[in-house]
Amino acid sequence: MGRPLKFNIFRYNPEDPASVPHMESFHLEETDAMTLYIALNRIREEQDPTLMFDFMCRAGICGSCAMMINGRPDLACHTKTKALPAEINLMPLPVFKLIGDLSVDTGTWFRNMNERVRSYIHTDKVFDPNADEERMSNELADEIYELERCIECGCCVAACGKANMVPNFMGATAFNRVARFMMDPRDQRKTDDYFEIVATDDGIFGCLGLLGCEDVCPKDIPLQDQLGMLRRKMGWASVRHLFDKILPGGDAKKK
Amino acid sequence: MMSDQTAVAQVQPVRTEAYLDFLQMLSGVALVMFMWAHMILVASVNLDLGGGRVMNWIAHFFEATYMAQIGGPMIALVMLAHFVLAARKLPFKAREQKEMWRHSVRLNHLDTWLWVIQAVTAFIILIMGCIHMWTVLTDLPITAQKSGARIQGGWWMLFYIFLLPMIELHVGIGAYRIGVKWGWIKRSNRQFFHGLENKITLIFITIGVITLFTFYVLVKPM
Amino acid sequence: MDTFYTDLLCVGAGLAGERVAVAAASQGFETICLSIVPPRRSHSSAAQGGMQASLGHCCMGEGDCPDVHFADTVKGSDWGCDQEVARMFAETAPIAVREMAFWGIPWNRVVAGKGTYYKGGKEYEKIEKKEKEGLITARDFGGTAKWRTCYTSDGTGHTLLFTMDNEVVRLGVTVHDRVEAIALIHDGETCMGVVARCLKTGKLRNYLAKATLIATGGYGRIYRETTNAVINDGSGAIIALDTGIVPIGNPEAVQFHPTGIVPTNILVTEGCRGDGGTLKDVNGERFMHIYEPGKQELASRDVVSRWMTHHIRLGKGVPSPYGPHLWLDIRHLGEKHIKTKLREVEEICNEFLGVDPITQMIPVRPAQHYSMGGVRTNKDGAAYGLKGLFSAGEAACWDMHGFNRLGGNSLAETIVAGKIVGEKIAEFLQGYEVDFKTAVVKDAVKKQEERIDRIIKGADGKENVYEVRNAMQDQLMDYVGIFRNGEDLKKAVDNLQVIYERSQKVGLRSYSLGANPELALALKIRGMVRMALCVAYAALQRTESRGAHAREDYPERNDRDWLKRTLATWKEGDSLPTLEYEKPSKVWEIPPGERGYGVAKIICTEDPEVCGEKKPETN
Ligand SMILES: Cc1cc2nc3c(=O)[nH]c(=O)nc-3n(C[C@H](O)[C@H](O)[C@H](O)COP(=O)(O)OP(=O)(O)OC[C@H]3O[C@@H](n4cnc5c(N)ncnc54)[C@H](O)[C@@H]3O)c2cc1C
Ligand code: HEM
Ligand code: HEM
Ligand code: SF4
Ligand code: F3S
Ligand code: FES
Repeated sequence: MGRPLKFNIFRYNPEDPASVPHMESFHLEETDAMTLYIALNRIREEQDPTLMFDFMCRAGICGSCAMMINGRPDLACHTKTKALPAEINLMPLPVFKLIGDLSVDTGTWFRNMNERVRSYIHTDKVFDPNADEERMSNELADEIYELERCIECGCCVAACGKANMVPNFMGATAFNRVARFMMDPRDQRKTDDYFEIVATDDGIFGCLGLLGCEDVCPKDIPLQDQLGMLRRKMGWASVRHLFDKILPGGDAKKK
Repeated sequence: MMSDQTAVAQVQPVRTEAYLDFLQMLSGVALVMFMWAHMILVASVNLDLGGGRVMNWIAHFFEATYMAQIGGPMIALVMLAHFVLAARKLPFKAREQKEMWRHSVRLNHLDTWLWVIQAVTAFIILIMGCIHMWTVLTDLPITAQKSGARIQGGWWMLFYIFLLPMIELHVGIGAYRIGVKWGWIKRSNRQFFHGLENKITLIFITIGVITLFTFYVLVKPM
Repeated sequence: MDTFYTDLLCVGAGLAGERVAVAAASQGFETICLSIVPPRRSHSSAAQGGMQASLGHCCMGEGDCPDVHFADTVKGSDWGCDQEVARMFAETAPIAVREMAFWGIPWNRVVAGKGTYYKGGKEYEKIEKKEKEGLITARDFGGTAKWRTCYTSDGTGHTLLFTMDNEVVRLGVTVHDRVEAIALIHDGETCMGVVARCLKTGKLRNYLAKATLIATGGYGRIYRETTNAVINDGSGAIIALDTGIVPIGNPEAVQFHPTGIVPTNILVTEGCRGDGGTLKDVNGERFMHIYEPGKQELASRDVVSRWMTHHIRLGKGVPSPYGPHLWLDIRHLGEKHIKTKLREVEEICNEFLGVDPITQMIPVRPAQHYSMGGVRTNKDGAAYGLKGLFSAGEAACWDMHGFNRLGGNSLAETIVAGKIVGEKIAEFLQGYEVDFKTAVVKDAVKKQEERIDRIIKGADGKENVYEVRNAMQDQLMDYVGIFRNGEDLKKAVDNLQVIYERSQKVGLRSYSLGANPELALALKIRGMVRMALCVAYAALQRTESRGAHAREDYPERNDRDWLKRTLATWKEGDSLPTLEYEKPSKVWEIPPGERGYGVAKIICTEDPEVCGEKKPETN
């Protein structure tokens, strides 16, 4: 006999004018190695087929299933019920637009984010199909991969007080993406180009250092270190620029 | 097909927000430095067990060199500037405040609470700090005896006992968060600095309490 | 109702769909991608291992070239592939990999000097050359003569997909995510786009396109136990099959993987067994040495899967709430080995099972893994039967995999096929005009509206969609699995026909406006059962064993009678697919022979077109 589990799940269907946001309870008996993926699917198939939530890979790699689990954003598919108390509260991620119940629209948000940080290699080189690839040290490749591991789940955004207050705030995932391209020698962008993208109050200077992002990221991306690096780089760039402007001969030093 | 980034690079980005954030950090650092120095000044009254010779000497030094007369208002100005700069990050709209509060309660996450504490203490400090500075600076020179008299009046004692932890929390958290925001505190050493922040805050509150005790009990008012 | 016009419509925004979109968009064609999930969540992101391309930079890959890759692919396919396509594929793969590097993939690179690797629990040494330092390196995968699998740590699919989507963003390609295509719009000759359902609002939409691409990935979810993602239910193949014209190629060619974890069938790598892990049964006893005294646990994927299933059927499985399973035991490899060389496995076990593989055994059983079959296309990616319809990626039967795909060849297929097919589509679009016949479009939409209406009202019955799905999955798991035989397959076909009837009587249990997850499944279930029948029926007909299709009652590969590809279509009103056959290849660079692994009983063909006059043809 497994533990009896009680799930309090947020219910609201914005498409239905008659729907009002409320919490609804469901009961299940816990089974071995039960995850929220298994539990939610059982609830949908056995109790309420209208329950909305998102799963895709159910293996912690696609980022679909982030939700607020007892108040913390995390991936539902890798959350074992064994690690939770017998009463489990599930809410949709805040900040993102609600589609229904536990399902939110992360797709639009992240596409917008990717456009905003121009998340692609900027180069004026042209691909030559007959030439060997540009060389790179394996160490650097690993470092880039470390930041590239973000799965765009949105947990860091949901856990960020600033993003909750200011919907236009870029969020740690965006800063991480910028940092990833900054360290990539294939990208020819200069500090000024990045400056224009992130050095605003909706960007890195809006970050309050709350570190919710750092503490919830299910992929354990070193977000804190990227945020600090970015602010320092951007801050110094502006100070250097100021000195160049006010000190005599400063402008000449620039390329 | 290739990107247009070369064209983009020609346009100089707007830098205002970068400057302001930088100044916010500088004002923060300056105020932290001041508060610690201020604590040393005030706590010097303990050195001769409330006799006041050391404190009076230091106070006299500052006044004789006009550092108190000029520095006092300067500090007030920095504080004002700091307030204006930092307040840009504060939620003034009701919706924002509500969201932030809801978020903090829901997430129940230490560093988020730290920020909330800082934001709340900021307002308390702004008001109480101004009252305090006005009182002290309009009644120069500073002497241990005068201060003792003020504090032994009772109301000022309460005033300081309340203000002290506010200040130390705001300052300690502020210093920690400057480290975080500007990348000096990293994932690898965050635990250490977090502990350090707690210790420093505690130490300063202890010194402050001892000092207040000295003023209240040991100092002979004029 | 919203109608969108575009030059190219990519149904599917995984690696294949996006690569095609990028090819067309960079030539200036207006392109829209549809996807059930945000594009970066497509299942391509789940591939961890790597992709094959014969760069030959690393020392264990020295001397590799497209010829060797081609030969491996043909052998792997058990001569079921289209050799012209396999050739094109092998030649293009290195370019495609380098192009992805140009776009930003942090491929792992050659590190000069000494290194070690593991095989069979033993450690070996290798020395990388100085002059190759910094070039893309490769790792070892089953069935290849050289180390050829390019990778980025444990996230190859993830980095590929993110980089591809970066290109999509750069080129400004429109992506409509959470939109599911539910029917093709066509007049029997030309494809004009799709009717789709918005999964945010539940509303129907029209997409009218000069060219339509199906790149919807695999259909593993018709099986209950599969490593595939939950959306891989074959909806792309279904809408093609529903036309009654476009055939599904080789539906019976389904690959299984021996070690999916129980309950959720997440894949754990073959490396576990490669490094010396053992399989155990309910009594904690090994069994592979009884069935395969030679290679034991290290026999090929399909062989191990087969014996595991057999052993479970003997009642030696470990009972669990999720059905019987076996144990994978890697405890004896030791903490150090597990924490360094099998880190990924340790993470999966800890995160998803709460099992510590250093002290506990891992519950595993074989799971469906890959569908070689799919929408049949020619070498340009054009689907049979409808003009303006294309397909690429796992959804397609372009046919470089034949009856068995090699590990690492499918990620490679997505970007290679994407590149080639994308360019062909761009050629096709040049100056091409199509008349979007209003009547046809209206009719297509009306049909879907009516269907939805009937399902909501339960006008045809009140069958529970989840029960129907489970019944279908049980049939495939039990009778059309890794092991196949005439009797079981017959049973499956019969039972599935009954289930097919039920699938047409599905009605919703409760109605909600908007996306409605139950309705989304209800709209697909009939097609899923059709696909299941295609698989089962084609498997029943194919009385031989080839690649992943293993018949106990016909253990030999029969090139004399079965050197041909199945083409399954579904005529409206029928309860079984119509099967036709075609020769798998026009070109026979490598005539059928022995693979060098697996069971090698072959009934030879004497077809001169295939064998030549003893001398192999080249192109
Ligand atoms: C666990 C696992 C590990 C693997 N590892 C490897 C490996 O190491 N190496 C290797 O080479 N291969 C591997 N594979 C196989 C490989 O990952 C896939 O074959 C390949 O990624 C398929 O890519 P795709 O673009 O064809 O489809 P997918 O990436 O599955 O994309 C399908 C797209 O179609 C969309 N879609 C589906 N239906 C509809 C519809 N009706 N309307 C609109 N959109 C729709 C989806 O939203 C998605 O965007 C692995 C597979 C699995 C399951
Ligand atoms: C230049 C400006 C300042 C001067 C000259 C000054 C001076 C003094 C003096 C003389 C005392 C002793 C108590 C008394 O006389 O009432 C004191 C105590 C104190 N001051 Fe200030 N002060 C200044 C600014 C500030 C500011 C800006 C703050 C904070 C907002 C502050 C917070 C305090 C506190 C909390 C105490 C009590 C210390 C204790 O715990 O012992 N002061 N200050
Ligand atoms: C002498 C008194 C004060 C000291 C020593 C002090 C110190 C600091 C420090 C060091 C920081 C961190 C700065 C940073 O994060 O960049 C900070 C932040 C802040 N301060 Fe003060 N401060 C004082 C008074 C005030 C006052 C009067 C206000 C006014 C309301 C205020 C409001 C804030 C706010 C809102 C922040 C957070 C800003 C952010 O997170 O970006 N502070 N303070
Ligand atoms: S940084 Fe981490 S938490 Fe944020 S989106 Fe990426 S993986 Fe999720
Ligand atoms: S939580 Fe938010 S405020 Fe900054 S440190 Fe993380 S982005
Ligand atoms: S379902 Fe993919 S991360 Fe959870």
